[in-house]
Amino acid sequence: MNATTVLLSVGLVGVPLAGQWIHYPTAGLPRLADGKPNLSAPTPRTKDGKPDFSGVWEVEHNRPCPPGGCDDMWIPQEFLDIGWSLKGGLPYQPWAAEIVKRTQTDRSKDPNSKCLPTGMVRMYTTPLFRKMVQTPGLLIILTEREVTYRQIFTDGRPLPVDPQPSFAGYSSGKWEGDTLVVETSGFREGLWLDASGSPLTESAKITERIRRVNFGKLEVEITVNDLKAYTKPWTIKLTQMLAPDTDLLDYYCIENEKDQPHLVGK
Amino acid sequence: MNTVPVLRLLLVGTITVAASAQWLNYPTAGVPKTPSGLPNLGAPTPRTPAGTPDLSGIWEPENTLPCDPNDGGDNCTDIPIGEQFLNIAARLKGGLPYQPWAADLSKVRAEGRGKDDPSVRCLPNGVPRANTIPTFKKIVQVPGMLVILDEYNATYRQIFVDGRPFPVDPQPTWNGYSVGKWNGDTLIVETIGLRDGLWLDGMGNPLTDAAKVTERLRRVNFGNLEIEVTVDDPKAYTKPWTVTLNHFIVLNAELIDYICVENEKDASHLGK
Repeated sequence: MNATTVLLSVGLVGVPLAGQWIHYPTAGLPRLADGKPNLSAPTPRTKDGKPDFSGVWEVEHNRPCPPGGCDDMWIPQEFLDIGWSLKGGLPYQPWAAEIVKRTQTDRSKDPNSKCLPTGMVRMYTTPLFRKMVQTPGLLIILTEREVTYRQIFTDGRPLPVDPQPSFAGYSSGKWEGDTLVVETSGFREGLWLDASGSPLTESAKITERIRRVNFGKLEVEITVNDLKAYTKPWTIKLTQMLAPDTDLLDYYCIENEKDQPHLVGK
Repeated sequence: MNTVPVLRLLLVGTITVAASAQWLNYPTAGVPKTPSGLPNLGAPTPRTPAGTPDLSGIWEPENTLPCDPNDGGDNCTDIPIGEQFLNIAARLKGGLPYQPWAADLSKVRAEGRGKDDPSVRCLPNGVPRANTIPTFKKIVQVPGMLVILDEYNATYRQIFVDGRPFPVDPQPTWNGYSVGKWNGDTLIVETIGLRDGLWLDGMGNPLTDAAKVTERLRRVNFGNLEIEVTVDDPKAYTKPWTVTLNHFIVLNAELIDYICVENEKDASHLGK
């Protein structure tokens, strides 16, 4: 998978050379005696008693660095293959399996490489920061990549009947105990779930079960129900780790973009 | 000033409205009503539990340019715009106090009909230009922060209202680094750390990395938001100048993504 790593990390993710990283203490972060963040402290809660997901989050570093050392952006396994943790892999429909096979030698069709939005699943596996802002009735996810956002309504509204198809879809969530269960539909056709080319179609319904295990860890269980692309629904878990004492920095894929003429494929 | 081609390029070239599916029309919560049941847009400014004005809501800028089919219909765009979209100083008496190079550059840019405009190449609008872009903005006010979600490129801006100072050497960005504090019922937002080469409007009035932008946000009543913008950029302008941008509440609607780069066909047709 080295080619993928090089393409995505060198080709699309440029690290700024000037200025400085944002370093500002996270408010309300519990600390150990030595001042370090206590990431295993209990889950924080909002005034109405719900778990508070607010914070800056990053991917779990579950993929060893290649022999040459880590890339500037440290991708997780699910960035390359969203079904990495599933025995036997994803239950692709034949046409979907063909896309994945083709992508092994031709990565030029990846929407990510064209600076298009990642969509809601890939947002979680992108090795850039995300910030959750939880308010009564609305959860917002701000992402560094393309400086874009996703809204999850938690005010009890139903999903629209015929939503405008979009990269992020339309999301409505409700609490089941300490878990926020989010239903999303209204996807734009042609989304990719990972760099392998695992597709998502407009008929997809996605259920997320989001749980903040403790102060430093967020678990997002994702069930993809897309029978056009997969023979049955499947479920994976994406772990997000808190990034303390920092904030988002803009990352614009399209700014000074030089790669597309070289993505000729086969 | 030859604004019409700029307008045409910006709106026809980069803003297309989705043709299928439906607009989002979920009822906005907490809207004051008149006795006859209509939204009471002149009702008092809503407030947060902390007592400050609550700026939360979906807002659109004042879109005043009339659509006159007898005039060639150049202002009859799918998204109505305001004069400050074309020229942020449209209501500033005497115009902008340009430094000589800035005056020359804005002239060249106006003649270039927007071909070098970052936004026609799908780059961000930045601060303060996003305030005049006719896509909806949603302000979400939470303790310690204001988030502004913008339909344009489905992008956002953060304004920290938690008392933090500016970073010493911020990474230059399109939105800069914004810190706000309440002064009575006005939120005063100061922004530094802007990337060099921003455009302030469609005619190409420049903003440099030396700029400090101050926005005074005041929700006059339920339905009106005033943003007074002061630009202090001694590299481009001989003195600070101030303009007021009016915004109106949008009810029973939601943001719909507008991704400029999706199926983009214009860049190759722009002038050399």
